[in-house]
Amino acid sequence: MASLLNMNGEDPQERPEQIRNIIGGLERYNPQAAEVLEAYLQQQCEEKFCDCNANRALLKLYQLNPDRIKDEVVTNVLVKTMTQFPSPQFDLAIHLLSPANSNPGPGSTSDLAEAVGKLRVLNSYLESANYSRFWATLEQDNDDIYADLTTDIKGFEDMIRVKIAQLLSQAYREISLSTLEGALGLDGEDKVTQYVTETCGWKIGEGGVVLIPKNAENEAKKTEIREDVSIDMFSRVIKRSWEETA
Amino acid sequence: MSAFQQGMAPLRALEDDSDVEEEALVADYKEQVAYGQDDDLDGLDQASLAQQADDLQARLVQAAQPLDFQATLEAKFTSYDNYCSLFHYILNSEGPVDLEPPSYYWAWDVIDEFIYQFNTFSTYRARIARQGNNEEEAQLLKEAPNTWGCYSVLNVLYSLIQKSQIIEQLNAMKRGEDAEKVAGPYGSKSLYRMLGYFSIIGLLRVHCLLGDFSLALKTLDDIELNKKAMFARVMAAHFTTYYYVGFSYMMMRRYADALRMFSHILIYVSRTKNFQKNAQYDSITKKNDQMLALIAICVAFHPTRLDDTIHTALREKYGEQLLKLQRGGPDSLPVFEELFRIACPKFISPVPPNFDQPESNIDPIEHHLSVFMEEVKNNMWSPTVKSYLRLYTTMDLRKLAGFLDVKPDELRAMLLVNKQRTKQIRWTEGGLLEGEWVNTSDLDYALQGDLIHISEAKMGRKLVDWYLRNLSRTYA
Repeated sequence: MASLLNMNGEDPQERPEQIRNIIGGLERYNPQAAEVLEAYLQQQCEEKFCDCNANRALLKLYQLNPDRIKDEVVTNVLVKTMTQFPSPQFDLAIHLLSPANSNPGPGSTSDLAEAVGKLRVLNSYLESANYSRFWATLEQDNDDIYADLTTDIKGFEDMIRVKIAQLLSQAYREISLSTLEGALGLDGEDKVTQYVTETCGWKIGEGGVVLIPKNAENEAKKTEIREDVSIDMFSRVIKRSWEETA
Repeated sequence: MSAFQQGMAPLRALEDDSDVEEEALVADYKEQVAYGQDDDLDGLDQASLAQQADDLQARLVQAAQPLDFQATLEAKFTSYDNYCSLFHYILNSEGPVDLEPPSYYWAWDVIDEFIYQFNTFSTYRARIARQGNNEEEAQLLKEAPNTWGCYSVLNVLYSLIQKSQIIEQLNAMKRGEDAEKVAGPYGSKSLYRMLGYFSIIGLLRVHCLLGDFSLALKTLDDIELNKKAMFARVMAAHFTTYYYVGFSYMMMRRYADALRMFSHILIYVSRTKNFQKNAQYDSITKKNDQMLALIAICVAFHPTRLDDTIHTALREKYGEQLLKLQRGGPDSLPVFEELFRIACPKFISPVPPNFDQPESNIDPIEHHLSVFMEEVKNNMWSPTVKSYLRLYTTMDLRKLAGFLDVKPDELRAMLLVNKQRTKQIRWTEGGLLEGEWVNTSDLDYALQGDLIHISEAKMGRKLVDWYLRNLSRTYA
């Protein structure tokens, strides 16, 4: 329930006391704190949770102390944040990078800028719901760049896949296996069938259509928005008329 | 130094002070220096003490003066040193210094000017590095990397907040308790209390300028945004606060909250503008237009009914642009960009630029704009898609794709994006970052294979509005 009340991956329950103290106080400006936050990121990568708030504190330290930047930490933060789509989390992280490190261009020679540029493209496919292009881009990874960038993040592809399935279930009541195949990045209808029945718990209907159980989002129920009228809403008018006659 | 004297009004405040007050101040000051120090001051006579108190008071006034627009680099360096020594004196003397702020607005003006100079200095430094044709100034700037450094600016603001125990005071006030009790030796003095308070607003601004939008909002956790807030008594502070809060919300895709902020302050300004005809009003007019531009952007992302006053002003100022934004598609992109440039804060980089490689220094505005535009692009088809969906209760996906001249897969993506974006976090109570997920659209749909089921929430009659309008028509 807590996650419903805030942005995805903003303040996870797994956050230890020490980290809470760092990001909640002035310690977040202490360059030494970077090491603690880096170790915490490592923990997030291994234990498959995400603390975007703490990771932003780390990027902020890099922003203020560019000599401390570790390229692979920056890209790990971004890949981690990417798993929180759709949300502004990835953008909020990019805003904290220096322009030179996040915009690959003819003038830039930095490897970090190249990598960040690649991740921004990848993220844009997720944010724009072009899921099949996301998977295709990962697949056609000729120089193993994406493989390198995502290797530290345990279960990266699985987390993305689960999220996509969840998002699809909020829009679809029925969906064809072929659409799912592209969106989930799975090869062949057998694999898709296995995934949706075993992992998602959905059923296959006639003609190979996947049936998604009803939920609050895929119903598209008709509603009427009504206004509750209370006396307070007229208080100004009443007060003024009362004052004028008095 | 002459540059400092070129500012405007506040000097008069000094003249208004009666001699009695000045004498009291001198006496207080004497007491206070005598308390903390021992031998070194023994040699000083009455006259030089009085002189020092006058100097201090003059420095307080000076710190709130705008630096001349064309001030030389040297003047900017000097100004920084002056702020440092003033804040050092205020923060690091033994015990609280016994000075009264020259006016109610003083503390706001000082913090405002301090950050403004930090902002323009950083922008200027970056420009010199980017243009790479002013070797002399580049050299000077390169040799003084810590002048107007980000860490020292943050340090001043955080120190003022801590010293004044303003957070504790605000929380006590929130609980309905006496703030004096938790104010401590510093915070009970109005100089510290006011500086501490406006430093919180200053932090909001600095974080926003550095592109840390969530930390910007987090900073205001202890300030309640309402008319009773301390900042509301200083118009410029009131205005600035809502601008930066609104902007940060917008960058976090919380368009409903951003609109609430911009609307609130613009309505407030329009109601009080007859009382504000002074020099301050010019800068407010500029920010006013910026906020209208931001409202146009937010309304395009999150169509909603605006207050009549704002709607009229928006149509007058940016009518054409608004139409293009609301229509969406690739034609809307340059308009989003134009309005963002007009209305965004002057973003800065917290570290000195690279003077040796001019071309490697990208203007931070371009950086933040490019991130923002990605989200604009993701959403640019939503208006078109929605305008079609409104016409039907069921629709075949392939047929609609044909109308729109896109591939079925592309339409699927558009439908998903639009549906995902209708859910937004909206503030209800507590800190500014708090909120609940709400569905913000009156249009909903679900897909059954290639069949789109569409439902539109029917708006009940706007009763309150109707009653109010008819009451005034009948009885006014």
